[in-house]
Amino acid sequence: MGKEHLGEFEELILLLIILLKDEAYGLAIRRALKEEANRTVTIGAVHGTVNRLEKKGFIESNLGGASELRGGRRKRLFTITTAGKSILEKSRDAKVALWGKIPELSVQNMKG
Amino acid sequence: MREQNSLPPKLPDRVLNWFLKDDLLEEISGDLYEYYMELGDIPEWKKKLFYCYHLINFLRPFALKKLEGRQKLNNYGMFKNYFKVGFRNILKYKMFSFINVFGLAVAMSVCMLIILMLADQKSYDQFHENKERVYRILGTPYVGSVPYATVPVPLSDAIKDRYPIIEKSTSLRKGVGGDAIYKNQIADLKGYFADDSFFEVLSFPLISGNKNSALSLPNSVVISKDKANQLFKDENPVGRHIQFEDRGLRVLDIDGDADSSVDWGTFTITGIVDNDAIKSHLKFDILMSISTLNRLQEDSLIVDNSQKWDAYQSAFSYILLKDEVSRSELKDALKNLSERQYSDLEDLSEYSFSSQKLTDITPGIIVANEDSFRLPELPYFVLSMFASIIMIMACLNYVNLSVAKSLSRMKEIGVRKVNGATRKNLMFQFLLESILTALLALVISTFILFFLKEAFMNLWVNKYLNFDLNVTVSVYLVFTAFALLVGMIAGIYPALFISRRKPVNALKSQIEEKKGKWGIRKVLSVSQFVFSLLFIVTSIVIYNQFKFFTEFEYGFDSENIVNVHLHGNDHELISTEFSSVPGVKNISACEYIPATGVTNLISLVDKRNEDEVIEMLHQKVSETFIDNLGLSLVAGKGLTTSASDDELTIINESAVNKLGFENPEEAIGSIWKTRENSSLKIVGVVRDFRATLLISGDEIQPMLMTSDPENFNFLNVKVSGENPMRVVSELEERWKKLDSRHRFKYEFYQNELDNTNLVVFDVVSVIGYISFLSILIACLGLLGMAIYTTERKTKEVGIRKVLGAAEMNIVLILSKSFMKLLLISVLIAAPLSFVVNKLWLDNFPNRVDFGFGTVVIGSLLMLGLGLLTIGSQTIRAARQNPVESLKDE
Repeated sequence: MGKEHLGEFEELILLLIILLKDEAYGLAIRRALKEEANRTVTIGAVHGTVNRLEKKGFIESNLGGASELRGGRRKRLFTITTAGKSILEKSRDAKVALWGKIPELSVQNMKG
Repeated sequence: MREQNSLPPKLPDRVLNWFLKDDLLEEISGDLYEYYMELGDIPEWKKKLFYCYHLINFLRPFALKKLEGRQKLNNYGMFKNYFKVGFRNILKYKMFSFINVFGLAVAMSVCMLIILMLADQKSYDQFHENKERVYRILGTPYVGSVPYATVPVPLSDAIKDRYPIIEKSTSLRKGVGGDAIYKNQIADLKGYFADDSFFEVLSFPLISGNKNSALSLPNSVVISKDKANQLFKDENPVGRHIQFEDRGLRVLDIDGDADSSVDWGTFTITGIVDNDAIKSHLKFDILMSISTLNRLQEDSLIVDNSQKWDAYQSAFSYILLKDEVSRSELKDALKNLSERQYSDLEDLSEYSFSSQKLTDITPGIIVANEDSFRLPELPYFVLSMFASIIMIMACLNYVNLSVAKSLSRMKEIGVRKVNGATRKNLMFQFLLESILTALLALVISTFILFFLKEAFMNLWVNKYLNFDLNVTVSVYLVFTAFALLVGMIAGIYPALFISRRKPVNALKSQIEEKKGKWGIRKVLSVSQFVFSLLFIVTSIVIYNQFKFFTEFEYGFDSENIVNVHLHGNDHELISTEFSSVPGVKNISACEYIPATGVTNLISLVDKRNEDEVIEMLHQKVSETFIDNLGLSLVAGKGLTTSASDDELTIINESAVNKLGFENPEEAIGSIWKTRENSSLKIVGVVRDFRATLLISGDEIQPMLMTSDPENFNFLNVKVSGENPMRVVSELEERWKKLDSRHRFKYEFYQNELDNTNLVVFDVVSVIGYISFLSILIACLGLLGMAIYTTERKTKEVGIRKVLGAAEMNIVLILSKSFMKLLLISVLIAAPLSFVVNKLWLDNFPNRVDFGFGTVVIGSLLMLGLGLLTIGSQTIRAARQNPVESLKDE
């Protein structure tokens, strides 16, 4: 499982799922993507990604929260797993380490 | 903001339902619903569009229903397997596949040729704008006659004036045909007089000129594009003046027999019609404005029949119905009109009009006085029937062989059934195989068609029928559809039969070979041979008939006689010139060449009953005619120049009887009046000879010959037997001296007579080819069965040989059932073919003797071919070394 690779879009969605806490379902993630990361994707793309993440074991899901707004249909609510958390940390550490190795870029960046 | 105003569209939801995995459905449709509701105050259609966009975006692998299992969304795997197994089977049993594919291919090529012919014919007259509303008026002179394409000239105007259902009408009067001269160019033009509504009713493409006025003024003509090019080369023809000399050419003339030319004066070209761009039953090089007629009639250059209702052979009439007018209203109008015009006319009281839709002319019913050569519907029916028989025979082969072969595929069928294949699946599989075979056959048949087309176009009749048999894309589509149909028809019985097998029996390879199953196969095979024999005998009979015609004794001597067309020249002048040519033995002149299709009639007033007339053939001949053609005088003397007022005449023996004389001598000296009141004195009687076509009747018709040099059209030049061509070329030299204008046109009499029978030879070719195909297909089927049987009996043969059976015995054992089959076929078909051929032959004039001999020859031919086919397999099987067949056990 540790070998699983995490794509950029997947990472973003994992982070958003944590951010959204109890309200992390397909359409909400899409909305958050727009607001927090300024990215517009189709609903299908979000569902495709969370489906993949679930298969990889980074998130779990359960059904709940039907409402009039959804024509009485339930949502699939996602929560992050320990594996998910650890791969996020790993990914962050690797990037921080890389940034540390290129001081000129980070200095330049800070100035800018 | 979020009122209940709009809900997501239903249909896309259903689509989603169909392709989306069940366990994802709720959350995703929920999300989409929410999304839709959030879209807010944008137009409905935009909302729907966005909704659908997101929905379609779920067509991703993770969200789609699984392809296998309970939900059969896609049978790709199954189809792939069917194709694979189908191809493997075709490749595995090469001989069977060859028999099937080849048999189907030859049969399909014949059908395709007919499809091509029909496609060509159907494309005629499709270019007319109002083709749905345009009709040609036909006239039927008496009850029981075929309708005539021609009608009286006044019809066209009368019908338009009197009946408001007619929007427009146009009339094409016959009678234009001659040479157009412009500067030094000359072109022969054939066509009609047409009025100015011609282009309104019919949409012939006028490439230059004004279609409203092109035919209004006198002395204006519209000519065809290719003739315009011939006359004017690069100049713009419209507005130019041509000289027109009428030579009496008619549209139907093939080689331009014509009279001497009459100057009709100067004409202005007012339009050019591009006749090559369209296909029409109506063919012409020239249309002359009908207003020109007044002048020509005044000058007595042409007969005035503009008001003659009894001259029903002089014009073609096309009418344009008003919108929404039904065919029955037209019928009533025509009925009314014919009653008004003809009930008082004594000779034509039964005359009636009928209509023919423009697009039904080609191909259409048989019509007399047509303006172009084409096949009527009947030959298509006959040809289609033949082709269907051949096609059915080929399909039967497929059925027979597939059913037989299916025994060796029992295991496959069993396994498929055990694995859950339904009967429908299996049927589908076998249908697919037959369709594959048919498509393979389609490829081969297009090659065969290429050669078949060539052969067909070389038939004599095709000189006159302008078939355009180019294969177009749409025709290819028809072919493919046809192949699919053939595949399905051929495959349906095997599919039903094979899929019926019970899986257990199938797996155990237990052959449920009941007697009945073999019975059907035998019946099919027998029927094939019955048809083959029928065709073979018929083609032999027709061939014999053809030979009989070519060797027919006409009763005159056509050997070494060269018929020369006079082209209106004085016969004396030409005769004198020709007689000095060395090698010319004798010269006579006549009005038309006997027994080549042309005849003239004369009516004599019957002396016994003044009200009756006696109709006879009438021929105008010179004094030397009787001697030259070797006719023998039975009584009296030959024609001499008349000394008295009575015209002298010679009659034949049939005429002697017809006129009521006991013997020829009695007739000599009697005087008869014609209906036109001139008197004829009989001076001689000749032995009967054929003056009509052989197929036109059994009996020799009564005939009367007079001498009338004015009307001689042909010279009969008897040349010496040695090197006649040298004499002919000398004659041509002399001709050029006397007439530089006309081509020297000659024909050997014997050839001319032979040519009249070429149509019979065409029929021989067609039937012969059909019988060749039918016997080929029947033998292929037999071959397949023989291969199959001998293969299955290899072991039996081996054991028999080991036990000491002789090769001959084994051959007999293996062939027995097939020989029985052939014999049964002969027993059924021989009497049948005798009766069928007797039936048509009995109604055929001048028929050849037909007896059982012909049937026996045909039967022996078929038996021989059949035995050869069986023998090729059984002998091989019998010769096989038993070690080979027994070693693997």
